[in-house]
Amino acid sequence: MKRFPKVMGVVLTAAMLLAGCGGAKKEAAPPAGNTTTPAPTTQAKAWAPEKPVTMIVPYSAGGSTDVLARVVEKVWSKYVNQPLTVVNKPGASGWEGRDSVAKAKADGYTMFMGYGSGEDLIAPQLRTATFDPIKDFTPISLLSAHSVLFVVPAESPYKSMQELMAAAKTKPINAALSGVGNLMDISVRALAKAAGAEITGVPFAGGGPATTAMVGNQVDIGPGHPSELMPHVKGGRLRILATATPERDPSLPDVPTLKELGINFTNPGSLKGVAMPKGTPAEIVKFYEDTFKKISEDPDFKKGMADAFQPVIYKNSAEFGTLIKSTFDNYTQMIKDLNITVK
Amino acid sequence: MESLQGLIDGFGIALGANNLLFAFLGALLGTAIGVLPGLGPAGTISLLLPVVYQMGSSTTTVIFLAGIYYGSMYGGSTTSILLNLPGEAASVITTLDGYQMAQKGRAGAALSIAAIGSFIAGTIGVIGLTFIAPPLAEFALDFGPPEYFSLTLVGLVLAVFLSGSSVSKGLLTLALGMILASVGLDPITGKLRFTFASVGLQSGFDFTTLAMGIFGLGEIFYNLEQTDAMGTVTAKIGRLFPTASDWVQSRWAILRGSVMGFVVGVLPGGGGVLGSLASYAVEQKLSKHPEEFGKGAIAGVAGPESANNAASTASFIPLLTLGIPSNSSIAMIFAALLIQGVTPGPFLIVEHPEVFWGVTASMYIGNVMLLILNLPLVGLWVQLLKVPFNILGPVVVLLTVIGVYSTSNDIFQVFVLIFFGVIGYLMRKFRFEPGPLPMAFVLAPMIENSVRQSLLMSRGSLNIFIDRPISATLLGVFAIMVLTQVFKAIRSRKR
Repeated sequence: MKRFPKVMGVVLTAAMLLAGCGGAKKEAAPPAGNTTTPAPTTQAKAWAPEKPVTMIVPYSAGGSTDVLARVVEKVWSKYVNQPLTVVNKPGASGWEGRDSVAKAKADGYTMFMGYGSGEDLIAPQLRTATFDPIKDFTPISLLSAHSVLFVVPAESPYKSMQELMAAAKTKPINAALSGVGNLMDISVRALAKAAGAEITGVPFAGGGPATTAMVGNQVDIGPGHPSELMPHVKGGRLRILATATPERDPSLPDVPTLKELGINFTNPGSLKGVAMPKGTPAEIVKFYEDTFKKISEDPDFKKGMADAFQPVIYKNSAEFGTLIKSTFDNYTQMIKDLNITVK
Repeated sequence: MESLQGLIDGFGIALGANNLLFAFLGALLGTAIGVLPGLGPAGTISLLLPVVYQMGSSTTTVIFLAGIYYGSMYGGSTTSILLNLPGEAASVITTLDGYQMAQKGRAGAALSIAAIGSFIAGTIGVIGLTFIAPPLAEFALDFGPPEYFSLTLVGLVLAVFLSGSSVSKGLLTLALGMILASVGLDPITGKLRFTFASVGLQSGFDFTTLAMGIFGLGEIFYNLEQTDAMGTVTAKIGRLFPTASDWVQSRWAILRGSVMGFVVGVLPGGGGVLGSLASYAVEQKLSKHPEEFGKGAIAGVAGPESANNAASTASFIPLLTLGIPSNSSIAMIFAALLIQGVTPGPFLIVEHPEVFWGVTASMYIGNVMLLILNLPLVGLWVQLLKVPFNILGPVVVLLTVIGVYSTSNDIFQVFVLIFFGVIGYLMRKFRFEPGPLPMAFVLAPMIENSVRQSLLMSRGSLNIFIDRPISATLLGVFAIMVLTQVFKAIRSRKR
């Protein structure tokens, strides 16, 4: 019974803030039935979760986003007193999980990993989605970004991106894609357009089969994330020609950016951030952005991420929100410029 | 004989108390989830991942997870035989003759032969993994879209053999399977097909849900009509172990199934189903009594069950030698390794010989454990048939619903399950053999995607299928199979 008042306080705070965000912003109006209790003193005691927190991974277990969530889970207990439950909701290529978070209560107990991955920013601009990728979520923090690398099979005659692009003007060049209308598809189209070449994208059923096609020398080139490609680069079966990031990747100092090669296309990669439902109270956002900051500096977390070939890139809620918005707008522009439709 | 030395070192690791314990736990858990309808190895491994990521040793982790995976292949046949409830794609074939055997009071023999076949196939698979893994993996990499197209074409012809007595009903079922498979996001153009604006249908139907609905629930719904099945014993039990003549009929089927399953299982593009399908078709062709297939032929259980176990072992080859996960369970083992700082791939065997050889050796041990675990359990499982239907039916429905929900965390999928249960019921009601449906469901997207990918690669030229030697050979096999069927038909008409 001792915990009861505290729980009540949190519930009421959340309810008040929810009510505040829901419709007309009447900050002063307390929820009905709250006349006798004094207003909870939120400043006195910072918010902290009082029951297990759910992190939804909108992809299947074992994928790179899942791995990131599991590395977080590994160190979570050092910083938060309540356990973290990772739930995989893979349906509808990542939409199912996002949709469930968009419709969840903004009470600080439901979040999802993988905000900014790409299909959540690109696909809703191509097809009608049940959630709004910007308005339905509160960005919490960025933890990582998976850049887009361009690789060729080890047997490939092309030693550099320029050689390949020159060849693409006279010969048919195929690229293995992890899907259609996603970050990889857009990246290959943008690369071809910027280099004035023609590349045919061959979509496969996900990153795994696309990588297999690259490793098996079935295609001329492929875009992919480091976590998928690096095991094969290390194994001598793939060669990296360039990265689409604006700056060189610190972990791959020898890999040139497309920009350096005179190809005018940059992309921040697949952003791997945490988001909560829209209208999540500021103190809850504060709690989690601080928690993720600590997690991003944890040595075990850093090691786990390095082992999984994922960089640690922390951004707080505000910075992450700005990045998401600019990336979203950038995709809007690209979809227009490249004339991409699926209808 | 580097492999032998490696294997000896591997046994040194696998026989350590901790690793032995986890191999056993994995095998035990795998058997259990294989038996429970709905909970597949992929779902179980994903539930266990948080625990597993905390385990210190990467060797022990993989020994444990691998045990769950191949253990579930042993257990998977149990519900296929007893309840007509296939747990995964590869054991759909087992239901055809296995369930018939159970109906005739030969469940014990079917379960025993499945366990023995699985043991032999598993062991043959591990021997293959020990000695010829790297060259086989290289061969698998030569399979691009054109090769998959030609291979799947062969598979589809084999699926027609499953259609039972009525060819027209068989073709209708096949067509239904293909239509169901096309629901969802078209992977080549990104367009939505037959989703009717439902987000739940956007990723299409899940195979396990479909198979459990059409086979398991369909059977239960159908039984509800048979008033005499209420509260009575569903089947006689009969003797538990195979007779000498059973063994004679099964031994070559087991060996052929093992080899076929192993070879096709190495392919990252879903070899397991093709292996068991090919095995079934071959046994039917070679059998002196092909008419018994579909009515309880023991070779029709022994062959495919061996094939799917050999394939499950073979699927570790692309993982351990190339770093390519070939299915969702293996993908999770891949992630578990990555998170512990071990990169699966060509260097694994050099950089982490203890993982490669420890796991390989543990598979020999695990297979023996599974045989010892499963044979005595046969007696226990067949007792399930004594459970009155009015208890067993609802329990199975409940377990299936829980299983489906626990893997997707989505209530919509439960409705999908029930929907397929109704389709399965109607199919039984109107005497449609359900066998070809799941096969078409698995093979149709493979054919569709691979042919479109191939034509994208060749800018529309069909030559891509005959210019590539493996694809051309497979198309030759396809042509021979079709022509022999046509000649047979002509000859029988002349008579």
